[in-house]
Amino acid sequence: MTNPPPAAPAPFTPLAGAPTSDLAVATRGLVKSYGRQPALLGLDMSVPAGVVYGFLGPNGSGKTTALRLMTGLLRPKAGSITLFGTPYTWHDRRRLFRVGSLIETPSFYPYLSGYENLLVLSAAGPPTDPSRIDRVLDYVGMSGRAKSAVQTYSLGMKQRLGIAAAMLSNPDLLLLDEPANGLDPGGMVAMRETLRYFTGELGKTVVISSHLLHEVEQLADVVGIIDHGRLIREGPLAELLEASGRVRVRVTPEDMTRAAEILRRLAPDRPLYGVDSGDQAGWFTVGVAPARATELNRALSEAGIYASGLEPGSDLESIFLELTGPGTNVTAAGPAGPPTGPPPMAGPLA
Amino acid sequence: MRLIRAELLKARRRQATWVLLIVALVLMGVTFLLVGLGLQFTRLLEFPQMYAIIGQFAFGLGGLFAVVYAAALVGADWNWGVLRNVVARGESRAGYLLAKAIALAVLLAVAALIVFAAGIVMVYLTGLIYNVPVASPLRGRGLQDLLDNMVLGYPVLLQRAALGFTVAVLLRSQLAGAVIGIALYVGEAILTSVLTGLTIAQNFGNLIGEGGFKPIGPEWYQFLPISIGGNVLNTLPGGSSAAGVAAGGGLEQLFLRPVPLELALAGVIVYLAASLAIGVVALNRQEIV
Repeated sequence: MTNPPPAAPAPFTPLAGAPTSDLAVATRGLVKSYGRQPALLGLDMSVPAGVVYGFLGPNGSGKTTALRLMTGLLRPKAGSITLFGTPYTWHDRRRLFRVGSLIETPSFYPYLSGYENLLVLSAAGPPTDPSRIDRVLDYVGMSGRAKSAVQTYSLGMKQRLGIAAAMLSNPDLLLLDEPANGLDPGGMVAMRETLRYFTGELGKTVVISSHLLHEVEQLADVVGIIDHGRLIREGPLAELLEASGRVRVRVTPEDMTRAAEILRRLAPDRPLYGVDSGDQAGWFTVGVAPARATELNRALSEAGIYASGLEPGSDLESIFLELTGPGTNVTAAGPAGPPTGPPPMAGPLA
Repeated sequence: MRLIRAELLKARRRQATWVLLIVALVLMGVTFLLVGLGLQFTRLLEFPQMYAIIGQFAFGLGGLFAVVYAAALVGADWNWGVLRNVVARGESRAGYLLAKAIALAVLLAVAALIVFAAGIVMVYLTGLIYNVPVASPLRGRGLQDLLDNMVLGYPVLLQRAALGFTVAVLLRSQLAGAVIGIALYVGEAILTSVLTGLTIAQNFGNLIGEGGFKPIGPEWYQFLPISIGGNVLNTLPGGSSAAGVAAGGGLEQLFLRPVPLELALAGVIVYLAASLAIGVVALNRQEIV
């Protein structure tokens, strides 16, 4: 039996080098700090036009700061922002007429109704036909409560209204900061469908920052992962998943020790996780691309080990934590395993 | 224009707008009832003297309310985070703030008209309750006096509102704007009283001439923002003592020469314009988090 070569990273399309004129939004070397507290340390972000861009990062990594800079709420200390192919500066406010945004929490006058809030908001910025208010309220399923005061709304309803406000002027670019916060499952599905329609049918661009990685995984075409004020990974989601691929395989508990040796040889540079007890006993998570699942199965069978389960084990959450979280570069013996895979085996692999 | 309409809608729907107006009207009603207790010495309720009392509410107490209301109107945009929405939509910060200021000016004009109308009705009610006849408010120079009261008092009201407005922009908070605005308002009144007392003490010999008091001044502190407005209110037709007390003390009218009306009015306008300019410049420079 020969050892397979270490898993080579799958091809990955870097966006940072792309010409900014072809992008809906681009930042280059963006620096921002709050007093002595750095927030962004040279952000190079590239959002292609017509996609849903998932902007991911741990708390305090700089996501909201980046969105605030793009909407003229903050001034960068250094670096540049390009909107729709041309440079954007703090005083270039009319460029924002093509941008809709929901930054941080949805903010409204509590004593006004949802409709009235959108009405007063439509008076600011780009000229907006008031008939558009009913349409966006309908989009987000808030027509029934449009006449109620916002102070009577739940968080999810405020969130829906926030999304409606962002879409009010039919923008070409939507910047949504944690839009799924407080949404019920129905609301999430509706938001997903709306944003899909927004990009797919209308050809517009959406940047969505979220902690709900599963949600982003279902929605995003391209992702950017930010940590400590710098973009650490960016590219099409499919390629990212492929490059950081995982396969889950199940063997009998008796075969686990031998299987672990074989699997480790398949991906010597990637962590290997296994479970040796409980309902999940016998499951391994192997750091190889799903395309190599057949190769993995063959290697096991050649050693007389027959897999009882084989499935793709890679998701955005595991990639995200591997890149940013405390489990970065952990091995199977490490204290923190990937959240989606089984916990690390404390036995023979330790 | 659409921004101003939006601001008026916000103000109309806001409870604070009506609460402050009702409180001012109730206080004025109570005052007229109390004034009525002393009416056994009066044979006639006359205008423009009554205008001066109404003016005290419209522009004196109204000025204090205007500080609070303006701070609430502007500061709320920070407190509720809605300024973020407006700026992120590409609206001009200066345009937005000026639209707010214009809407506030419209609201204060309407409020002053309501207070004057209600005040005239209250004068008649007081006369009715205490069985004292009321002279026609339009008798002689009545209408002109009413107009003078409105035209001279209104800029003072605006200037005082601009104080709360600008403090709220600088502090980015409605509560802080209102509290600091009131503190400045009351603080200046106390300061000018103290300074007036000191001036009198230092110049006591010079103040008494052969024919009685010989006022000195105007002193520099009569040009401070609240005092200069008080100086204008003192000139309202119908007697100045009531408005003078509201403006910071009665002593200064006895011993200090008033700032000439034209100069005082110009001072009010300068303060008003400066307040708005400071507000606009501050908002243009502010980062919104």
